[in-house]
Amino acid sequence: MQTLRGRLTAWYSGALALTLAAFAGVLYVDRRSASYQDLDQRIQSEASLTAGILAESYRARGTLVRPDSAQRPVLIPDLAALLEAVPGFLVITARDGSLLFASSDARALTFQQVEQLRGLASAPPSGRSSGTLRLEPNGPRIHYVVQDVTGAGPQFGAILAGADVRTAELGPDQLLSTFALVLPLGLALALLMGSWISRRALAAVDQIITEVREITDGRSLHRRLAEPLVKDELGRLAETLNQMMTRLERSFAALRRFTADASHELKTPLTVLRAGVERAITTPNLSQDTLATLEETLQEIKRMTELVDALLTLARADEGIAPLHREPVDLRGIVEEVRETGELLAEESGVRMEVATPPEPIVVSVDATRIRQLILNLLTNAVKYTPAGGSVRMQLGSANGRVTLSVADTGIGIAPGDLPHIFDRFWRADSARTRTSERPGAGLGLAICKWIAEAHGGRIDVVSRPGRGTTFTVTLPREPSATNP
Amino acid sequence: MKILVVEDDKTVGQYVKRGLTEAGFHADLVGDGAEGLRLSTGGHYDMLVLDLRLPALSGLEVLRTLRDRGEGMPVLVLTAQDAVDFKVQALKMGADDYVTKPFSLEELLARVEALGRRPKAIAPPLLKVADLTLETGSREVRRGGKLFELTPKEYAVLEYLMRHQGRVMSRTLITEYAWDYHFDPGTNIVDVVITRLRKKIDHGREPKLIHTVRGVGYVVKA
Repeated sequence: MQTLRGRLTAWYSGALALTLAAFAGVLYVDRRSASYQDLDQRIQSEASLTAGILAESYRARGTLVRPDSAQRPVLIPDLAALLEAVPGFLVITARDGSLLFASSDARALTFQQVEQLRGLASAPPSGRSSGTLRLEPNGPRIHYVVQDVTGAGPQFGAILAGADVRTAELGPDQLLSTFALVLPLGLALALLMGSWISRRALAAVDQIITEVREITDGRSLHRRLAEPLVKDELGRLAETLNQMMTRLERSFAALRRFTADASHELKTPLTVLRAGVERAITTPNLSQDTLATLEETLQEIKRMTELVDALLTLARADEGIAPLHREPVDLRGIVEEVRETGELLAEESGVRMEVATPPEPIVVSVDATRIRQLILNLLTNAVKYTPAGGSVRMQLGSANGRVTLSVADTGIGIAPGDLPHIFDRFWRADSARTRTSERPGAGLGLAICKWIAEAHGGRIDVVSRPGRGTTFTVTLPREPSATNP
Repeated sequence: MKILVVEDDKTVGQYVKRGLTEAGFHADLVGDGAEGLRLSTGGHYDMLVLDLRLPALSGLEVLRTLRDRGEGMPVLVLTAQDAVDFKVQALKMGADDYVTKPFSLEELLARVEALGRRPKAIAPPLLKVADLTLETGSREVRRGGKLFELTPKEYAVLEYLMRHQGRVMSRTLITEYAWDYHFDPGTNIVDVVITRLRKKIDHGREPKLIHTVRGVGYVVKA
């Protein structure tokens, strides 16, 4: 149930199943009690009818009972034949409790069961009584009425009319089996319909998702969703999203303006400072102290300039507007170019430096300035964190349509807990990696490296073991990807 | 050569103007785009140093209007935007070169000189200090007839010091010249280059030509 559509369908179908089940239950109970009432009425009217026939015949004929061959009193045959037409169990007893008549259904019962019926009918009832009981052993459950016979001569006791309860349950049971058949079919249909309806309803949402995704890729913020004329929930959603995008666009524009303004506002005073110091430092006949102070100032101005540049580069990169100036370059050329600088850095720190490049050209369309910056950053870092006597190895290679450039050192390494953070801005590792002479802006170096690699459609990875060394690997696609034109 | 500087920030403008004047150019300064456009039309100036962000009329508009009017003088653009597309835009509109703020005065002068097509007056082909010679064309360095093999960085540092011989050049300035203006190694990488240069050029020879000025940088003199 990953999708809203699936959940909606499940909810519908569940609700429908519950409704159907409740409906079926109520209908079944209702039908059952109605059937019982029918049965009760039927046997009562049978009893009344029989009593009526007996009374009528008595008035017309006088005696209705005569002895049979065994000298037991029984109903006269033509009357018995008439009463055979009454369906179900019909038993008529004499006043002394003996059996005067039993209908064919009753005669089909076992002796013991007939005796049970006779017993019910001969128990002196007060007028009329009814009940339900099971005939033992293993007989049917019957519903019965017992009624006194009056006005049919002195011999008559009572009439028992009864019917098998099953005849009343037959209708509701059929209903139940019909439900058992129809309910799963209905549910399956509901699932299909529900799925279809929610797909139709949610198609508009899918549409909105697709459009929003296209708009928010960073370059199309001026676009808006089509707002339906009908202001239903989806119409309001589109409207709200559009308002949100308007605000987003506005704040992006404000950020862009701020970036441009900040670069101007920060850089102009830096230019003034720099020009002043530069002029002063070239004045002839200055004392060495003054010169040293001016040089320190110049150095700080330069660091601050670098920091401002780095911040602005990252701010633009966040906005997706830091462009690359790509040209096909043999990467070996860039590596050779920075090689001397790397060797100088290494020599100053007493570190050995090795460079390995393949014999064949590796021509890739890159922003050479940025790639040079990336390599120099990695080299500077590697040398900085490698104690004297260690080594730094830079290797350029190409395989499977990808170019890899790795800078490996045998330095102090990075603690495993720090590894996930080293590409974060201004992040500083524990004190082992933080020197007192740490330069401002140094916390941005790896963040910029990461941006440069990713802006070229590549990536930067790091493997490190504390005390053993660190390897940074930059992987670039040979074909420029479409992500950053 | 007459150069018009269009820059709304007075301090920056004054420094640029003074720097150009000291380098032997005639420079005038105006503070807004409309005035800059008015003055630069009509062939009074040989070159324009143009800030892109100006009141009244932006630098890009000044540039476009000038080129539309058929003014072909070289234009050097000053910009605080280091975004490549912005520079490309300026170049496409007819700028000849650009300098990104904050710029080094030296970089600015170098570009002005390059645009003014007077490189030889500033950078003579042969630099000479005592018996040390450096030929900028062939990049050959000799002392007492012996030819030295210098790496690119060694050559750049030596050339810079020889070009400003007798003057103390700070480490920062040397770094900026020999590497690019935005490389900051955070270490005194220049010292390593100087050590190498001394081994090649001064070792076993008199007089020593490369001198250290503690806390500042280096000077080349006889």
